[in-house]
Amino acid sequence: MGKNKAKVRDIDRTIYDIKDKVNASYKVQEGLTPKIVNEISVAKNDPEWMRAFRLKSLEIYNRLPLPSWGPSLDGLNMDDIVTYIRPNTPMRGKWSEVPDDIKNTFERLGIPEAERKSLAGVGAQYDSEVVYHNVREEVRRQGVVYTDMESAVRDPVYGPMVRSHFMKLVPPTDHKFVALHGAVWSGGSFVYVPPHVKVSIPLQSYFRLNAPGAGQFEHTLIILGEGADLHFIEGCSAPKYNVANLHAGCVELYVAKNAHLRYSTIENWSKNMYNLNTKRALVEEGGTMEWVSGSFGSHVSELYPMSILKGENARMEFTGITFAGKGQSLDTGAKVVHAAPHTYSSINTKSISKDGGSCTYRSSVEIPPQAHGCKSSVSCESLMLDDISRSDTIPVMDIRSDDVDVGHEAKIGRISDDAIFYLMSRGLSEQDARSMIVTGFAEPVAKELPVEYAVEMNNLIKLEMEGAIG
Amino acid sequence: MSTMVSNVNALPARTWVRLGVNDTEFPAWEGRPAPYRGNVSAAELPAGVSVLEGPLPGAEPQTGMGRETADWVHANRNCGVRLRSAAGTHAEAPVLLRYRVDEDNPAVVDDNTVVAEENSEITVVMNYSGESGFHGGLTRLYAQKGAVIHLVQVQLLGDGCTHFDDVGAFAEDGAQIDVVQAELGAAAAFAGCRTRLAGYKSRLTMDSIYFGDRKRSLDFNYAADHTGKKTRSDIRMAGALLDESQKTFRGTINFLRGAKQAVGHESESNLLFSPKVRSRTAPLILCEEEDVDGQHAASTGKVGEDLLFYLMTRGLSETDAKKLLIEARFRPVTDKIPDAGIRDAVMDYVKGRLSGLESMG
Repeated sequence: MGKNKAKVRDIDRTIYDIKDKVNASYKVQEGLTPKIVNEISVAKNDPEWMRAFRLKSLEIYNRLPLPSWGPSLDGLNMDDIVTYIRPNTPMRGKWSEVPDDIKNTFERLGIPEAERKSLAGVGAQYDSEVVYHNVREEVRRQGVVYTDMESAVRDPVYGPMVRSHFMKLVPPTDHKFVALHGAVWSGGSFVYVPPHVKVSIPLQSYFRLNAPGAGQFEHTLIILGEGADLHFIEGCSAPKYNVANLHAGCVELYVAKNAHLRYSTIENWSKNMYNLNTKRALVEEGGTMEWVSGSFGSHVSELYPMSILKGENARMEFTGITFAGKGQSLDTGAKVVHAAPHTYSSINTKSISKDGGSCTYRSSVEIPPQAHGCKSSVSCESLMLDDISRSDTIPVMDIRSDDVDVGHEAKIGRISDDAIFYLMSRGLSEQDARSMIVTGFAEPVAKELPVEYAVEMNNLIKLEMEGAIG
Repeated sequence: MSTMVSNVNALPARTWVRLGVNDTEFPAWEGRPAPYRGNVSAAELPAGVSVLEGPLPGAEPQTGMGRETADWVHANRNCGVRLRSAAGTHAEAPVLLRYRVDEDNPAVVDDNTVVAEENSEITVVMNYSGESGFHGGLTRLYAQKGAVIHLVQVQLLGDGCTHFDDVGAFAEDGAQIDVVQAELGAAAAFAGCRTRLAGYKSRLTMDSIYFGDRKRSLDFNYAADHTGKKTRSDIRMAGALLDESQKTFRGTINFLRGAKQAVGHESESNLLFSPKVRSRTAPLILCEEEDVDGQHAASTGKVGEDLLFYLMTRGLSETDAKKLLIEARFRPVTDKIPDAGIRDAVMDYVKGRLSGLESMG
C-alpha cells in the first residue's frame, strides 16, 4: 500500500452557507447590560415574573466565572454579540405566509418537505424568533400541545405549567452560559404530551441563525405525561461569517413514569459558531430517555446532554457521533446521575478527527449512595484520520454504592491496515475499503435515526474517500 | 491545622470542577522534619550498583503528584538514596530500602534517585512501615539506553499515618521501567507516577494495587507521556474498597506528536464491599498522533454473584470466597515483589485486615 493519505472531504456546506440579507424588524445593541435585557423583555411582552427572572439570571451571569476546562473561548466576546434580533415577520401557521427569503431558506434545508412526508409537527426559528409553527390536526386532537415558547409562557392554560418547570431542571446557577440563556432566551418550543398518548411520528424544531455576530438562545421545554411517547428532532444550522456567533440554547425534558422520549439532534452550525448548549432530562420511575446526537458543525462546541434518573428502573441511552474538521474543537459527551435504585444507563459514542480538528469526549457517570442495583455501560471510540488532528477522552465515574455494575471502555486509533488489506483481498479498491470502514464506524448512530435523517447525516459527513491511502 | 500542599495529582486535562477529580491537596508535616535516625539500607549494595555522585543525567522529570509536591520534598527531605547501576551490569539482588515511621522518626521525607546506565538493570524495593506519623517520598528514575529499572514500593503504614509516594521517570531508547505500587495502609494515602517514554521502543509497566478499609482515603495519579516511536505503556490498577473507604484514580495515556505506532493500554478493576465506599475514576486518553493504539477498560462493582456461588458450591463460606477473590486480585502484583519477606508481609497484612471483616457486603 502506498503512503499517501486518504482524503476525507469536508462536509459540503453549500446549502447551509447561503446567507439571506439581514432584514430584521428589531434588534438590540451588541453586548449585555440590564438595559438590553429589559429591552428584550419588553419587546417580547414578558409577564413580570419572566422579566424578573431574566434580570436575576443576568446577575448570576456576571458573577459566574468562565469554565476552567474545555476548549478556548478566547474568540468569544459578549460585547460583540447581538443577543436579540427579530425577523421581519410574525409567527405563521402556513408556509405560504412566511416571507419568501426565509421560506426559501427552510425549503433549501428540506423542512417543509419533511413536514409533509414524515413529521407530526414543525417549528422553525429564524434568528431570535419562531417564524413558523404547525402541528397536524390529528396530533392536536390527541391533546398534544406543540407551540413556540413565547405563546406557551403567556398561555392561560399552559402558562402556569411553563412557569413551574422553566429553568427548574437547568437553573441559571448551573454555569455561566446557562445564566446568559436565562437572561436573553428567545424562541424555542414547548411540547406537552398528555398521559398515555403516543405520538407515532416525530415532531421537529429547526433553528436557523442568519445574522452575523448574533446569538441564538432558544428554549425547549418538553413535558411527557405518564406512559406518553414522543420522538422529538432538533436541527440547526447557520451560514458562515468571519465574526463569532453564539448559540446558548437550553433544553429541559421531563419524562414521567413509564414515558418514553427520544431526542435526536443533528447539529450543523457554521464554523464561526460557539455552540455552548445545555440539555437535561429528568426521568421518573420506569421512564426511558434516549438521546441521539450528531455534532458536525461549529467552531467550538460544549455539549453534554445530562439525564437524571430519578425513579426506580428509569433508563437512559445515549448514542452520539462527533466529526471535527479544520478549525473545529468539539467537546461533546454525556452526563448521567443514577438517582434511584435499579436504574440503567448506556453511553455509546464515536468521534472522527481530521484536518487539524479536535474532538473531546467528556462524560460523567454518578451513582449516589442510595442507588443500589444500578448498571452503567460506557463505550467511546475515536478515529484519527491524520497526524495533525487531536482526540481526547475524558470520562469520570463517581460511584458511592457497592451494589452496582459499572463498565467503561475506550479506544482510540486509526483505520487498521489489516482491515483494509482484508477488504482489498475480497476485491474492494483501497478507496472503497476505507470508505466502507469509516461509514461502518458511523453506522451505530445512523441506524438510530429515522431514515430521512440518517441520509441527511450521511450527506453531512460525506465521507467520500479519494485517492490512495496508506 | 496543617498547611496544605495544593495542586496535587492534577489531571493532565481538567474537567467539571464539581466532580472533585481535577486535583487534590495533602496536609504537609508542620515544621522541618528532623534528620532521619537509622539506616534505610541494612545490606551492602549489590555488585554493579553504587551511590550516584554528581549531577542528574537529565532534566528533573515531571512527577505524578506534580511540581508543588516535588518542591515540598526538596525543601523538607530528611533521607533518601541516590543510586546508579553501571553500564552493562545486571544487579543480581534488589536494593532493599526500609523507611520506618516511628517515635524517632515521626516524619520521614525521602528523596531518591535511580539512574540505570546503558544496558544495565537494577531493582529497588522500598518498604514503608510504622503506626503513626508522616511519610512522603519522591523517586526519580532515569533509564538510559537499553536499561531496565524495576521499582517496587510497598506501603503498609498504620491508620495513624499520612503518606505520599511520588515518582517521575524518563526512558531512553529501548529502556524499560517497571513500577509496582502497593498502597495498602495509612489514613490518607496519595500516590503518583509520571513517565516520559521518550526513547524509541521504550516501555512502561505500572502495576498498582490498593486496599481501602475503615475510613482510608486513597488518591492516585498515573500518566504515561508517549513521545518516542513504538513506545508502549501498560497501566494496571486493581483494588478493593471496604467499610467507609474511598479512592480516586486518575490514569492518563498521553500520545504526543511523534509517538508513531505507540501503544497504551490501561485497565482498572475495583471491587466494592460496602454501601458506604466511594470510588472515583478518571481514565484519560489524550491523543495528537494518528498511528497509535490506545485502550482503556474499567469495571467497578460487587463480586459477581455467579463467581461467589461457584466458590460457595466448592465449600467456601461467602466471606472466605470474597477474601479469596481479593487475594486473587492482588496476587499477580504481589508476585512481582522480589523480596520474599516483604511479599509475605503484604499478604499477611491483607489477610489480617480481612480477618476482622466477617460480615463483608
